[in-house]
Amino acid sequence: MILLIILIIPFITGLSLLLIRNSAILKLVALISAVANLLVTLSLIFSASVSSYSVDWISFLGTKFTLGYDGISLIMLFLTNLLFPFIVLAGFKRDQNQTPILYALILFTQSALIGVFLAQNAFLFYVFWELALIPVYFILLLWGGEGRRNITLKFFIYTLTGSLFLLFGIIYLYQLTPGSHTTDFSAFYQLNIPSTTQVWLFWILFIAFAIKMPVFPFHTWQPSTYTMAPTQGMMILAGVMTKMGIYGALRFLFPIVPKGVLYWQNTVIIMCLIGVIYASVIAFRQTNLKKLIAFSSMAHISLMAAAMFVMNYYALQGLLFQVISHGVTIIALFYIVNLIGERTGTLDLSQMGGIKLRAPNLAILLLLVILGSIALPLTAGFICEFLMITGLFQQSVWFAVFGGLTMILGAVYMLYAYQRVMLGDLRAGFERIPDIRSLDYIFLIPLIIIILGLGIFPQPLFNMADESVYAMQNFLKPVADSILAIIR
Amino acid sequence: MKEISSAIQLIPLEHYIFLSVALFCIGLMGVLFRRNTIIMLMCIELMFNSVTLLCTAFSAYHSDPAGQVFVFFIMIVAAAEVAVGLSMVVMMKRNIDSVDINLLNRLKW
Amino acid sequence: MVGLIPIINIVWLIPAFPLLGFLITGSAYKRLKHRQAGIIASAMVFFSFIASVVLYFVLRSSGQESATVTLFDWIAIYNMNIPFAFLIDHLSLTMMLIITGVGFLIHLYSIGYMSGDERVNSFFAQMNLFTFSMLLLVMGANYLVLFIGWEGVGLCSYLLIGFWFKNPMNNYAARKAFVMNRIGDLGFILGIILLFFTFKSVSFSEVFSQASAFQSGAPVITMITLLLLVGAVGKSAQIPLFTWLPDAMAGPTPVSALIHAATMVTAGVYMIARSSILYNLAPITLNVIIILGLATAILAAVIALRQNDIKKVLAYSTVSQLGYMFLALGLGAYSTAIFHLTTHAFFKALLFLGAGSVIHAMGGEQDIRKMGGLSKTMPVTYVTFFAGTLAISGIPPFSGFFSKDLILSKAFEHSVLLYIVALVGALLTCFYMFRLLYLVFFGEQRLPGHPHESPRVMTIPLVILSILAAFGGVLNIPSFLGGNSNFSNFLQSSVISKAPEEISHSTEIGLILTSLVLLSLVILLAYRTYVRKALVPAEEGKSIFFFNRLIERKFYIDEIYTEVFEKPFGFLSDFLFSKVENTVLDPAVDGIGSATSGFGTLVRRIQRGNISFYLFAMVAGILLFIIFILIV
Repeated sequence: MILLIILIIPFITGLSLLLIRNSAILKLVALISAVANLLVTLSLIFSASVSSYSVDWISFLGTKFTLGYDGISLIMLFLTNLLFPFIVLAGFKRDQNQTPILYALILFTQSALIGVFLAQNAFLFYVFWELALIPVYFILLLWGGEGRRNITLKFFIYTLTGSLFLLFGIIYLYQLTPGSHTTDFSAFYQLNIPSTTQVWLFWILFIAFAIKMPVFPFHTWQPSTYTMAPTQGMMILAGVMTKMGIYGALRFLFPIVPKGVLYWQNTVIIMCLIGVIYASVIAFRQTNLKKLIAFSSMAHISLMAAAMFVMNYYALQGLLFQVISHGVTIIALFYIVNLIGERTGTLDLSQMGGIKLRAPNLAILLLLVILGSIALPLTAGFICEFLMITGLFQQSVWFAVFGGLTMILGAVYMLYAYQRVMLGDLRAGFERIPDIRSLDYIFLIPLIIIILGLGIFPQPLFNMADESVYAMQNFLKPVADSILAIIR
Repeated sequence: MKEISSAIQLIPLEHYIFLSVALFCIGLMGVLFRRNTIIMLMCIELMFNSVTLLCTAFSAYHSDPAGQVFVFFIMIVAAAEVAVGLSMVVMMKRNIDSVDINLLNRLKW
Repeated sequence: MVGLIPIINIVWLIPAFPLLGFLITGSAYKRLKHRQAGIIASAMVFFSFIASVVLYFVLRSSGQESATVTLFDWIAIYNMNIPFAFLIDHLSLTMMLIITGVGFLIHLYSIGYMSGDERVNSFFAQMNLFTFSMLLLVMGANYLVLFIGWEGVGLCSYLLIGFWFKNPMNNYAARKAFVMNRIGDLGFILGIILLFFTFKSVSFSEVFSQASAFQSGAPVITMITLLLLVGAVGKSAQIPLFTWLPDAMAGPTPVSALIHAATMVTAGVYMIARSSILYNLAPITLNVIIILGLATAILAAVIALRQNDIKKVLAYSTVSQLGYMFLALGLGAYSTAIFHLTTHAFFKALLFLGAGSVIHAMGGEQDIRKMGGLSKTMPVTYVTFFAGTLAISGIPPFSGFFSKDLILSKAFEHSVLLYIVALVGALLTCFYMFRLLYLVFFGEQRLPGHPHESPRVMTIPLVILSILAAFGGVLNIPSFLGGNSNFSNFLQSSVISKAPEEISHSTEIGLILTSLVLLSLVILLAYRTYVRKALVPAEEGKSIFFFNRLIERKFYIDEIYTEVFEKPFGFLSDFLFSKVENTVLDPAVDGIGSATSGFGTLVRRIQRGNISFYLFAMVAGILLFIIFILIV
C-alpha cells in the first residue's frame, strides 16, 4: 500500500496544482509534496518489512497492476524522490510561464518514473516507461530554448522508436510464457529461451535502453536536447531519466537473456568505452557550457553502462552508487550552470572569465561539485569510479585502462571549463555580477553534503543494494560458467 | 410470371451475359475516360443496368425470385444515388460554373 | 601495549587539527581579519606537530614498532574490506614530523610573506587542507587511504599553484600539474586494483605479510610495482612527467617550499619506501627506477645550469634531488632515500623560503640577472641561504653531505658507472647552486632600489631551518665516522632495505675525498666566473652555441609535449565533434527521418485528388486481383 501512496502522491498533487493560481503557493505545494514523498520513501527504506501491492488489471491479458521492489529498484526510487524536491526547488523565485502546468507536468513525470521503478509487470513497466516521456516532452517543448520544436521532436521520436523495439520484445516474451500468458517479470525470469533466440532478442530489448541512457552511437539526441532544455527539464532528463535506461537493462537483459548478454558482452563494453572516450574528447573543445556538461554526463553514463555489462559484484555495486552520485552531481552542476547563465547572460565559454573575483562563493561551490564529478577521493564519485574500474579490471585490464581514462580526461575538460568561467581576469561587463543568494545555498549545500557524505560514509548505500547485487551476480555466474564450459 | 420467364428463356443465357458485359464495359469506360460529371453519372447508371439485366436473366433461368428482388433494390439505390449525384452536379455547376470532374481535386488535401 | 591504546587512539587528532583549521579559515574567510587566519592555521599545524612528537615518545616508550588505528569501515562489500585506518610506525612518524614541523615553519613564514595579499585567508585555508591531505597520505594504513591523501595533495597543489588566478599562465600551470598528476594517479589506482585482486586486500600489513609467498621477479608483482611507479613518477616529477614541477613555481613561494619541495613531491618516494617489500621482489622495476632516477637527476641538473629565474633553478634542483632519491630507491636503499628526503626537506624548504625572502625584498622580481649584492642588505637571508647551498652541494658537515654521500656510496656498490654519473650530477648541482648564490648575493646590486631584510616572522623560520639543514646530518652519522646510523636503524622496522649495508671504510673515505676535491674545484670555477669576472648570463636566445640554447629552452620538452599531446588532442576533439558527430552520426539519425519524409513526398504524388485517376486505380486494382485469382 505504501508503494501505491508513493506512486500517487505526486500525481494527485500535480492535478491539484492546476487549480492554484498563485504561483508562489503552487511551487510551495509542489515542494511539500516532493519532500513528503521523499520522507515516505525513506520510511520505506528503513522499514524492515517488505511491502508490495497487486490488483488485477487486464485479466484476459494476464496483466496485473503489481508494484514491488528489490535493492535495485530501491536505489532508483530513492534517487527519483531525492532529486525531485531539488528539481522543484530549482524553480523557486524564478519567473516562469504557466507555472501550474509546468509543475503539474514535473510531478506527473515523477509519478511515472516511480511507476517505472516499482512496476513488477513488463506491461505495466512499458506503460509507465512511455508515460514518463509525455510530460517531459511537453516540458521541453513549451519551456525550451532555441530550436526546441525540431529538437524535441527528434528526442521524442528517437526514444519512441527505441520503445517500439521494447514493445516487440515484451510481446515476444509474452507469447513464450506457458499456459494462459502473462507479462509478470517473475514469469519472464522463468523462461528458458534458447540461446540462438537470446542472441537477437538481446538487441531488441537493449536498443530502447541504449537510446535512453544513451550509449554510443545512439546518443545524438542528447547534446542538443540538453542544450535547449529548460533547467528543470534538463535535471529530470540527466538526473533521472538516463537512469531509466540503466534500470531497464538491469531488469530485462540480465535475468531474461543472460546468454545473449554474455554473447554480446564484450561488444557492448567496447561500444560503451568508445563512448566514454569519444564524449570526453569532444567535451574538451565545447564552447557551450551546457553542451560540455552534456558530453561529460554522457561519458559518465557510458562508463556506467560498461560497468553494467561486466556483471560482477564490484561493477554493479559501483554502478548503483554512481546512479545516486551522478544524479546528485549533475543536477548541482546544471543548477550552477544555470546560475552562471542567469548572471552573465551567456553560456559561451569564450565570453566568460574572472567570475570568481565577483562571486567567490559560487566559485567554491562549483569547484566542489566539479571535484565530485571528476571523482576525487572522499567524494561519492570516487567510490563508484573505483569500484567500476575494479569491476572492469576483473574482466580485462584494457577495459580498466580505457575506463580509467575518464579520470584524466574528466580532469582535463572540467578544470578547463572551471578556469575559463571562474578564473582569469574579470571580463568587461561582469563587474556587477552578484554572488549567490540564500536560496541557492539551500539548493546547493544539501547536494554537496550528499556528495561528500556518501564519499566518506558509503556503507548505507552499499547495504541498500547489497542483497540484490549479490543475487544478480549469483544468478549470472552459473550461466557464465556453463557458457565458458561449452566454449572450452 | 411464368410466361415472362419462358419468354426470357427463349434467348440463350450467353447472349444476356455478353450484352451485360458489353454494357458494363461501356459504362466503365465512360466513367474512366469522360470528364463530364453528368455523363459519368449516366455511365454509372449504365453499369447498374447491366447488372440488373444479368440479375433478371439468372433469376429466370434458375427460377429463383431473389434475383428479381435484387433488381428492385438496385433500382431504388440507383434512383437515390442519381438524386444525390445530380444535386451535387447542380451545386458544382453553380459554384465553379463547370461540370468537369478534374476540377474537383480538392481531395488531395 | 595496553597502556598505549588510549593515547594512540587519539592519533586522528593529528590530521584533524589542520582539517579544523581549514574548516575555520575556509568557512569564515570573508570575516577573519588581518593575520588571524595565518595565526589560526599555523597554530593548528603546530598542534599537530606537538601531537606527533608526543606520539613519537609514546611509541618509543611502549617498545612497539607499529600500531594500527581503525576509525571506521570505509568500504566493506563482498570480499572487499577497506577500513579508514591509520598506521603509525617509524616511517610514517618520520614523515609526520617532517610535514608538521617543516610545515609549521612554512606556515609561520607565510604570515609575513603573504601579508597584504587580499586572499590571504583562502591561502591559509588551502595550506591547512594540504597539510591535512599530506598527513592522510603518510598515515593511511592501506593503499586506498593513501590514495585519498595522494589525490588530496594533488588538488591542493592545483589550487595553490593557481592561487593568483587572474593570470591565465598560472591557471595553465595549475591545470598542467593536476592533469600530469592524474596520469600518474591512473597508473597508481590500477596498481591498487591489481594489488587487491592479487592479495584480496589493500592494507599494508596484509599485503606485505602475503608478499613473502611470491618469488622474486614474479610477473604480477613486477606489474603491480610498475603501475605504482607510474603514480610515483607523476607525483614526484620524474621523467617523463616532470615538466609540471618547474611550471608549478607560478604559485606563491611558501607553496613551492612546502608542496613542491619538502612534502608533496616526495610522496612518491614515501610510497615506494613504504612498499619496499614489494619492490624488493621486483628487480626489473628497481632497474627501471634507477634509470629513471639517474636520468632525471642529470637532465634536471643540466637544465638548472642555465635557468635565470631564481625559483626555476630551485625547481629543477628539486627535480634533480628527487632523481637522487629515486636512485637510492632503485638501489634498494630505501632508508637512505628517506634520509635524503628528510635533509632535502630541510635545505630545500630553506632555499625556497630564502628565495621568497629575496623576492619579497626585490618587490616580486625573480630574475637573478637583476639581483646581486644582496649579502649586505639582507644578512640573515644571506647566511641562511648560504647554509642551504652548502647543504645541497654536499659539503661536510652539512646535512646534504651525509645523505648524498650515502647515495653515492650505494651507487658505487652497485656499479662504478652509476657512481660516476651520479657524481657528475652532484657536481652540476654544486655549480648551479653556487652560480645562484653568487649572482644573487655577491657583486654589485644591478637594479636600483633599496632591498631590505624581511620581517622577523619570516627570518625566524629561516634560521631554524638553516640550523636543521646544517646539522640534520647528525641524525645518521655513518659508522666510519664513529656514528651508528641511527636514522637508518630507526627505519629498519618499517622499511626493508635490500642492499648489503656497508662497504669498506677505506673505499668510502676515498670516495668522499674524491668528491670533496672535485666539489671545491667546481666552487672555485663558479667563483671565478660569477664573482671575479662578474659575468652576468646573457639574454635568453642569444647564446651562440646550439647546446646552450638547447639547455636554455629546457631541451624543448615542453614544446614537444605540446606538439605531440596537447595539440593533437585538440585536433582530435575538433575532428570528432565536427566530422564524426556532426557529419556522420547525427546526420545518420536525421537521415532516417528525412528518408521517411522523402518517401512520403514521393507517395504523395499519387494522391493528386483526381477522381478519374482514383477510379482508374480502383478498376486496375480489381482487375489485377481477378487476374491474380485466376492464375493462382
